[in-house]
Amino acid sequence: MGELQLLQNYLVVGAMLFSIGLVGMLTRRNMIIMFLAVEMMLQGVSISLVAWSRFHNDWGGQILVIFILTVAACEAAIAMVLVLMLFYRSGRLDIAAWQNLRESNQTAFVDTELPEAEIEEPQWPALAPSGIEPVQPVEQMVHRSHV
Amino acid sequence: MTQTQSVMLVATLLAAVGLWLLLPRGEGWGRKLGILLALASLGLFASRLPRLGSTSAEVIFWFLAAVTVMSAVCAVTLKSPVYCAIWFAMTLLGTSGLFLFQGAQFLGVATIVVYAGAILVTFLFVLMLAQPEGHAYYDRVSWEALVSACVGAVMIGILTMVIGDAFAPKSFTVDETEKYVTLTDGIVDPIAGREVPQRTDEILSDRHMDHLGTQLFSRHLIAVEVAGTMLLAALVGAVSIAIQSKPLARSAGGARHG
Repeated sequence: MGELQLLQNYLVVGAMLFSIGLVGMLTRRNMIIMFLAVEMMLQGVSISLVAWSRFHNDWGGQILVIFILTVAACEAAIAMVLVLMLFYRSGRLDIAAWQNLRESNQTAFVDTELPEAEIEEPQWPALAPSGIEPVQPVEQMVHRSHV
Repeated sequence: MTQTQSVMLVATLLAAVGLWLLLPRGEGWGRKLGILLALASLGLFASRLPRLGSTSAEVIFWFLAAVTVMSAVCAVTLKSPVYCAIWFAMTLLGTSGLFLFQGAQFLGVATIVVYAGAILVTFLFVLMLAQPEGHAYYDRVSWEALVSACVGAVMIGILTMVIGDAFAPKSFTVDETEKYVTLTDGIVDPIAGREVPQRTDEILSDRHMDHLGTQLFSRHLIAVEVAGTMLLAALVGAVSIAIQSKPLARSAGGARHG
């Protein structure tokens, strides 16, 4: 198996993961998904580091990925607490709720048109009744008010 | 413009349009077309990569890479945050498979344990606490979907082209007496100019964990200590941020009542 070809393929996959994470960070407005996109960028860098580590037969890349994992764990703990605090103060996970923190010469982002909510009727599986007839009506038993 | 460059250009354009169609924009149309375009651009990017040489290695690598990249796209573009988290877990599985394929056994397992076991569960807990009713309007719109999709696609294209150029065979002369590598192109290329180093296969040996632990706790011992201290500081910081807000809210409410 060609080491050089393997390295090139891994670097391209890492670059793709990094760029997709960048797109997620730029577009999404949900704070949790933005944070998840940052973790995805870290994954892309980790793939590249492991590939370099294998290519040079050196442990440095893998050791660095272990420290990346450690930093990601710390970061996740702090960021999730901060996201929860921001949610308690604004009532939503929308990052646009905090845009009054912007500088004075920046214009605010205004939602021109909010998309309609897509109302989807949930399709619950209907089980065929079997055995002794239950006392309760079936509709009441399969009814789920909230998932 | 060479054939590779034109293929890269087409793949970048397809990726930009496909990502734009896939991103939540408020309108629901075009997602199937976006999936098709994104798959086509992935295929074009993959067609420009060198072959690995052995069939089983190619099958395993392309399967893992396809799982990783496609579930990453799903994790970024889907509207429901819970589905995003689940597809991110799929990305992690693909990544750890890629790590295992490179012989990094410890990292493959540690990625699953740390990310899927701890970080992803934290995501889901926060989602459950903060967004119990599921879909919110801000998940159905996104900031500047077109510009961001173009930025991402151009970044993928540029990085792929740069990596491909760096690995392309260049004309160079090796001066054996001086141990110099002189490129006639004038650019010193660290990869193409050298032979692949003679392998001792330390990373692929059976005593992988032994060597990794020895490296970690001898050469990088201070870094390990610093990382442990940082974990403790993060723990204390998270707890202090979390419990600080409750008395604040209570005192504010009390002041209002009093």
